[in-house]
Amino acid sequence: MVSGPSWFFGFGAFMEFIAFAIAIAIANQALKGYRLSKEKTLLYLNLSFVLIGAGLLVDGLASLIVFVTGAHRGFLYPFAVGYTIYFFAQVIAYGLLVYAYVYQAREIGAGPALIAAVPFLFFARNAVTELILIFLLVYIATQTGNNYSLNKGTNALLVFGAFVTLSIAHVFFLIFTVDRIFYPLAHLTQLLGFLLLLWMLLRVNRQK
Amino acid sequence: MMPTKQPEPRPTAKYRSQFRIYVDIMSVIQRESNEAKPTRILYGANLSHDRLVKYLEELKTLGVIQEIGTDEKVYSLTQKGIEFMNNFKRVESFASAFGFKI
Repeated sequence: MVSGPSWFFGFGAFMEFIAFAIAIAIANQALKGYRLSKEKTLLYLNLSFVLIGAGLLVDGLASLIVFVTGAHRGFLYPFAVGYTIYFFAQVIAYGLLVYAYVYQAREIGAGPALIAAVPFLFFARNAVTELILIFLLVYIATQTGNNYSLNKGTNALLVFGAFVTLSIAHVFFLIFTVDRIFYPLAHLTQLLGFLLLLWMLLRVNRQK
Repeated sequence: MMPTKQPEPRPTAKYRSQFRIYVDIMSVIQRESNEAKPTRILYGANLSHDRLVKYLEELKTLGVIQEIGTDEKVYSLTQKGIEFMNNFKRVESFASAFGFKI
């Protein structure tokens, strides 16, 4: 797999570890909410962010191994494994979030939604997987955008902004083969998306 | 966390509905400066008299509300109830940021 500039590996791993911590914090808040309310959408949100966090951690560790050993990440087996786990985790995670929105809307039953998600889970090629992720993220961004247009709250705006930013990050991941500068840009944008989610989480927990 | 009686009810639609009613009753009490008469709660939570009596008893058993006043019944949230409502508001705000309703 073609990769980003070698000087960026350490930074990339560091950013992924920060994003991992934020994803786990979001997952934890969703779990607290589920325990309190038994609302299934919060359980899906929890599972989704646990998977996102796991993917980020694995990819970050793989990048760190490459950074520490000084080898080019594109030729390393551990990185290839980390990369695959990362994308599978992300596709399932964002697929779960999409399912949570569909579940809430009660437009379709649980069975059809899960069956529809299955074909998405077996792509391994970068461009295809990224396109699937972008598709899922754009759907989630649209849902969170609709939510913001209805309630106009700052927290809803932050979540909407986060998913728009994450969508843009994956567009950058898709096109970094055109120019490698898009690789660090993708990581920076991804981190920004998670920081927006962290901001929302801090606002929620500051509330009396 | 919402205190529950043993055995804990399963997370079914019925339970969620009951949970929402609990929250609605407690919200009314909190809105009324933590001192609400049954009539206020009845209208605020949109419940029949029989159901109100049942839920008030359940909430008292859970230790989240208490009866105060001597001449007429007035309900207020206990410390446990206030903490529950604070947690609930955070969770509601978090879920609402994602567009999920609880």
